[in-house]
Amino acid sequence: MVSTLVPERAGPERAGPERAGRERRARPVSGAADGPPRTRRRRTVVAYLFLSPVLLFFAVFLVLPLGFAVLLSLSHWSGFALSGIEPVGLDNFAALFAAGSTFLVPVLTNTLLFALGTVALALGGSVLVASCIERLRFQGLWRTLYFLPIVTTVVAVGNVWKYMYEPGGLVNGVLNAAGAGSVAFLADPDTALPSVVVVQAWASLGSAILVLTAGLKSIPESYYEAASLDGAGQATVFWRITLPLLRPSLLFVCVTQFLTGLQSFALITVMTKGGPGDATNVAALEMYRRAFSYGDWGTASAAAFVLFVVVLLVTLAQLWVFRRKGEEA
Amino acid sequence: MTPDGRGAGTATGGAGGTGPSRRRFSRALAAALPASLLGAGCAAPGRGTGRPGDPVVLTLLSHYGGGESKEALRGPVDEWNATHDRVKVRTTAVEFDDLLTTLMVRQAAGQGADLVHPYCLWTGQLVRSGVLAPAPPEHAAEIRRGYGTAAVGAASAGGVVHGYPTELQTYALYYNRRLLREAGIDQPPRTWLELEEAAYRTTRRDGYGNTLVQGFGLSTYDDSTTVGQTLALLASAGGAFVAADGRGTAIDSAAGRAVFALERRLVDRGASVPGINMYQAFPAGRVAMVIGAGWWTGSLTSRMGAAYRDVGVAPVPVPEAGGRPGTLCTGFLLGVNAAGPHQREAWEFLRWLNAEKVGVGSGTGASTGASHKAVGAATRMSVLQASLGSLTGRADDMRVLLGADADPNLRPFLEALAYAVPEPNVPGAQRAKSLLRKGIEELWTGRRSVDEALRTVRRQVDQEVARSW
Amino acid sequence: MRGRGVPWVSYLVVAVGAVLTMVPFLDMVMTSFKGPGEAGTLPYRFLPSAFDLSNYRAAISQLNLPLLFRNSVVVTAAITCSVLLTSSLAGYALAKLRFPGRDFVFRLVLATMMFPPFLFFVPHFLILVHWPLAGGNDALGRGGAGLTTGIAALAVPFLVNGFGVFLTRQFMLSIPDEVLEAARIDGAGEFALWWRVVLPQTRPVLLTLGLLTFVDAWNEYIWALLISTANPSVMTLPVGIQLLQDHLDPTRTTPVIMSALVLSTLPVLLLFLLLQKHYIRGVMTSGLK
Repeated sequence: MVSTLVPERAGPERAGPERAGRERRARPVSGAADGPPRTRRRRTVVAYLFLSPVLLFFAVFLVLPLGFAVLLSLSHWSGFALSGIEPVGLDNFAALFAAGSTFLVPVLTNTLLFALGTVALALGGSVLVASCIERLRFQGLWRTLYFLPIVTTVVAVGNVWKYMYEPGGLVNGVLNAAGAGSVAFLADPDTALPSVVVVQAWASLGSAILVLTAGLKSIPESYYEAASLDGAGQATVFWRITLPLLRPSLLFVCVTQFLTGLQSFALITVMTKGGPGDATNVAALEMYRRAFSYGDWGTASAAAFVLFVVVLLVTLAQLWVFRRKGEEA
Repeated sequence: MTPDGRGAGTATGGAGGTGPSRRRFSRALAAALPASLLGAGCAAPGRGTGRPGDPVVLTLLSHYGGGESKEALRGPVDEWNATHDRVKVRTTAVEFDDLLTTLMVRQAAGQGADLVHPYCLWTGQLVRSGVLAPAPPEHAAEIRRGYGTAAVGAASAGGVVHGYPTELQTYALYYNRRLLREAGIDQPPRTWLELEEAAYRTTRRDGYGNTLVQGFGLSTYDDSTTVGQTLALLASAGGAFVAADGRGTAIDSAAGRAVFALERRLVDRGASVPGINMYQAFPAGRVAMVIGAGWWTGSLTSRMGAAYRDVGVAPVPVPEAGGRPGTLCTGFLLGVNAAGPHQREAWEFLRWLNAEKVGVGSGTGASTGASHKAVGAATRMSVLQASLGSLTGRADDMRVLLGADADPNLRPFLEALAYAVPEPNVPGAQRAKSLLRKGIEELWTGRRSVDEALRTVRRQVDQEVARSW
Repeated sequence: MRGRGVPWVSYLVVAVGAVLTMVPFLDMVMTSFKGPGEAGTLPYRFLPSAFDLSNYRAAISQLNLPLLFRNSVVVTAAITCSVLLTSSLAGYALAKLRFPGRDFVFRLVLATMMFPPFLFFVPHFLILVHWPLAGGNDALGRGGAGLTTGIAALAVPFLVNGFGVFLTRQFMLSIPDEVLEAARIDGAGEFALWWRVVLPQTRPVLLTLGLLTFVDAWNEYIWALLISTANPSVMTLPVGIQLLQDHLDPTRTTPVIMSALVLSTLPVLLLFLLLQKHYIRGVMTSGLK
């Protein structure tokens, strides 16, 4: 009945959301999503048309590459024609963990240290800053400031810090002004890894602060009021109320940062290229180099899968912990 | 990563140098950068325009991308292009640090250059990855005839020649005459014993224990100062890094132990301070002796000015008096892409550049024209390398080019061509070299004992090299 | 608010932290003005002796910054448009259409987010190289350079984003079904519905997703480095600036690099400052970074 009027008014195609919204009130709601079989078939076709770009992409750039990566990780290939791929079973994986291979130590251990170090620094820093920001005015402004490194390209972050770490750079300038000797931050194998960890933590502090802020905001004010009625000091409130109630956010920051730390190698590529020696070499960088510098596609793919398993285990642990937390709540 | 302590400016300065030569070179390079960075060859192997009758265009990928080296290469390439209508050559360049990855990635992407100029260390890997084509018989014969054994060895894989050896570097002992004289030493050391004694006697410290002069320069600065020095000493002791069959390392031997122990003693007794930048310390007169490659003479000349007359060069000392001399030789080769469509033309160009002799004037200021009074003949590549202060493996050319007025310090490097041992170039050699460098660094910094360092290097290199076959 | 009086300690902590966060940016800007022999020499000085723009001019000419900018803009725009388009199409189907296999497809989309990018560097590269009938390849993907010769290679692996699909789908769930039914009864086709009704209502989430994608694409480094190694003419800003490293005398190069970095960072920084609410919302949902 109404529909006969519609074409005269605007035409269904041109009916904007406002109009549609207005008409909704005037019209009985059609609850049946399932029409006759022909309509249903047509809808299925339409739905898959909507999905087709995404599905096609995943077929070509997700399923196919995964299969290809599995094949390569189980093969020896020197890079000529694709027909030259020879299957070698688990040889590549065995080579990664053979005695004398540097993949487990120091590459994988560096990867874990890098991820752990970043998490520790970012978590500590963000808890401190986020809980302090909570007490201040202009919270948005402060958070924006801390957020800037996140939208900056890794090439800028890496180069600026690399330059700051140099003998004539800002960090050593401050050290010298304070009467301390210069430190060869990136050139010394002992300090190189901690130095890049600091930069990665610096760059990820902003998002950690954001998540923790959301967590802090969700703590009911009544808890604090009750505590202050009991005469609890600020430190007690922090340890007894804030931290325990912040646990889900802390956990979230912890796990996501850990995953990011395990995978990231762009910053290290920019700052040290994995050096000096293997001091800052991490698994993803090792994979990249084995493939693109040494043409060892097999062990490169195997290394990628080993790292993937590590990442997967961490993700599963995350899901498990979150689910448990959900049941507790 | 840099094999001989330098980037693109092959003969122009040390990697860490900030001296005048480096700066001049930088300015030249700054001007050349846009072209080399962005205009660099992105074409598929020289297919030319594909139209019949149009010339074949061969692309040449090297690390001669800046300053003097770029200019030096442009000379003969322009000459070829001016005199050949059917085949043209276009050069492209990347930084030495990016050269191996660029070679591999472009090859994998089907965009490899027709002519490639890799570091000899990578020969095995590049042959295995299908980058380097074996030299056709007539070219192989030409190469074997024209070059010394070390040069041919460096450009071969599994006994098969894969290209024309170009830039060649041998290692010898640089010493500071003034510092030796002040310690009462007139002659450069000829044996390890004399070397050690001279090192301890020339070392000087201030009241706070800071080292003012290092007797013998061991520096973790780059591949050349760590691996280069160590392998030169190893060769002088008759040892080898990679076993004869190429499937493992031979460093864990008596000779290897002797070299590691010598270096460790020098560090422990304060004659060497590995943390310094050798490319600054030696020209500044803060190092009495150091083993280095021949290209350094050029950069020292421009950096040190008048003080360069204190610099002398002698063969690498041998363990025992009267022992056979030995040293390390590194270098580059010009080869043809196995995937290129115009291999015959490419080899013809290489022969023209590397084997055809042209008349040259006296000294290193060589000219290919006839205007100079010709004192002999040399290949275009020899002229090119000599103009950069480097050598090629053609000893006869070098004797012509390094005439009477050449730097006498270049002589020991030239003489070393007769007995120098090429750097091993089996597949996996680049990785083996980085592993060795790490092992040496751990030895010098006291993190591992001589035995532990040897064992670790052996285990790691064996695993890596065996895998690469 | 929870403490009493002025929270001095908190001010101090936050201010010190903010200074530590800002100092690298300030050092970048200051260094970009430093003249020859000023950067990287001892003793360290924070301020340049003069603020002149010669390094910026050098960066624009030496680095061929216009070309790098153009490449970056083309790639970023292509990725952002494609992610928005594909995500909103798929998100609509997953949120508002009923069809067999919907839950499976949704789970598949979720699963794609589990796979970290490093797993795909090698196979993506090889797939592009052996793309059939492109760049001189035959139908079996042999013989040529495949897709690696063009600028498309930089964008292709990022054209669809599982997280984008997830994000739009979640948002579209909140659009009331009645609105759509009404339009359907009016005879609107699904595509018209998607374009006229759904997209306008999805604007906030599209803005968020677009920003996230834009920033990531603009800053992407590793893949661009790989493709530029094969073909330098498609170099993007981060890669081009990074390749200037170690080419020149450090005391001269560093200021040029810093000025190029300032120029390349500005567009993203401005966009972020203007639209930070939307961006931050995206980061909160994704939990990534």
